[in-house]
Amino acid sequence: MTSQKKKVLLVDDSMTAMFMQETILAARYAVVRASNGEEAIAKAIAERPDLILLDVVMPKMDGFEACARLRAESATQETPIIMVTTRGEEQNVERGFAVGCTDYVTKPINGLELLTKLNNILGLAAAS
Amino acid sequence: MKVHDGRPFVDKVASDTREYVQSLLEEIHRLNQTLADFSSRYVDVEQQNTNLANLYVATYQLHGTLDRDRVLGAIKEVIINLIGSEELGIWEVTGDKLTLLDSFGIDPRQWERVALDREAGLVGLVAETGQRFVTGEADLVGAGREEELHACIPLKLDDTVIGVIGIFRLLPQKSGFEPIDLELFELLGSHAATALYCTRATTRLMVVS
Repeated sequence: MTSQKKKVLLVDDSMTAMFMQETILAARYAVVRASNGEEAIAKAIAERPDLILLDVVMPKMDGFEACARLRAESATQETPIIMVTTRGEEQNVERGFAVGCTDYVTKPINGLELLTKLNNILGLAAAS
Repeated sequence: MKVHDGRPFVDKVASDTREYVQSLLEEIHRLNQTLADFSSRYVDVEQQNTNLANLYVATYQLHGTLDRDRVLGAIKEVIINLIGSEELGIWEVTGDKLTLLDSFGIDPRQWERVALDREAGLVGLVAETGQRFVTGEADLVGAGREEELHACIPLKLDDTVIGVIGIFRLLPQKSGFEPIDLELFELLGSHAATALYCTRATTRLMVVS
């Protein structure tokens, strides 16, 4: 009996960043994509991912607003959200936690750090 | 009936048990060491994996299009997302000077034209010599508008410099360049040059046809 992969929703307006995240995660997780905050909310409700990787700076709706809206939705209020930011300053990190994110990572993304955080949050073993 | 003295038997059981426990403790120690080795190797393998992913993604993005604007966008995205800087400029050689093609986070008016010689500063020096500049690699520092210049990469087709990429202030959480960043510089130096050249060639073909 094969275990189903956990599903991760990647949200980023940068194709390069999303491609990088997908390359790191695809072997261990099923991946769904969205390119802005509005699309992220729609996809999160439709796909019910196990975790959301959410970029901060995006057009139409930024990551802070998207995170707050996801927390307000009954379907996604418990879904772990890791914010991905180029701005690792304290005030941005605090703002992320204030709107309800579970954790954050800074760009450029460290693959091992990202996998470790996902594994810790989703409760999977680090090694396959 | 002779009463059997059980002491030697008990002593033997105790001795055997002590030996067995000792062997188990040694096995646990050996397994812990093996686990530590595997953990260390896992970290190394995952780091290698991330490095390869960086190079793969950068190459794919650069060569995934023949549209000039999209190639320039890909170069900017590689620098912002994979290297870690939001202040950069991309110049091409036009005659005896560098002309700014695109930028992010710097004042384009300040950098529109750069002379193709070392007198113009590090950007001009890199374009003239074809040798990259990375802070800490050589005994050079930028001055004035180049004070925050952390790296300058020549874009080369064979040995001909066709352009330059300048990377200025790094993201706050990035303390300096890592080995993978230097590999990305090498990759950009050749593949970004090829990608930009191909877009120009494609545009000329479309004009002719």
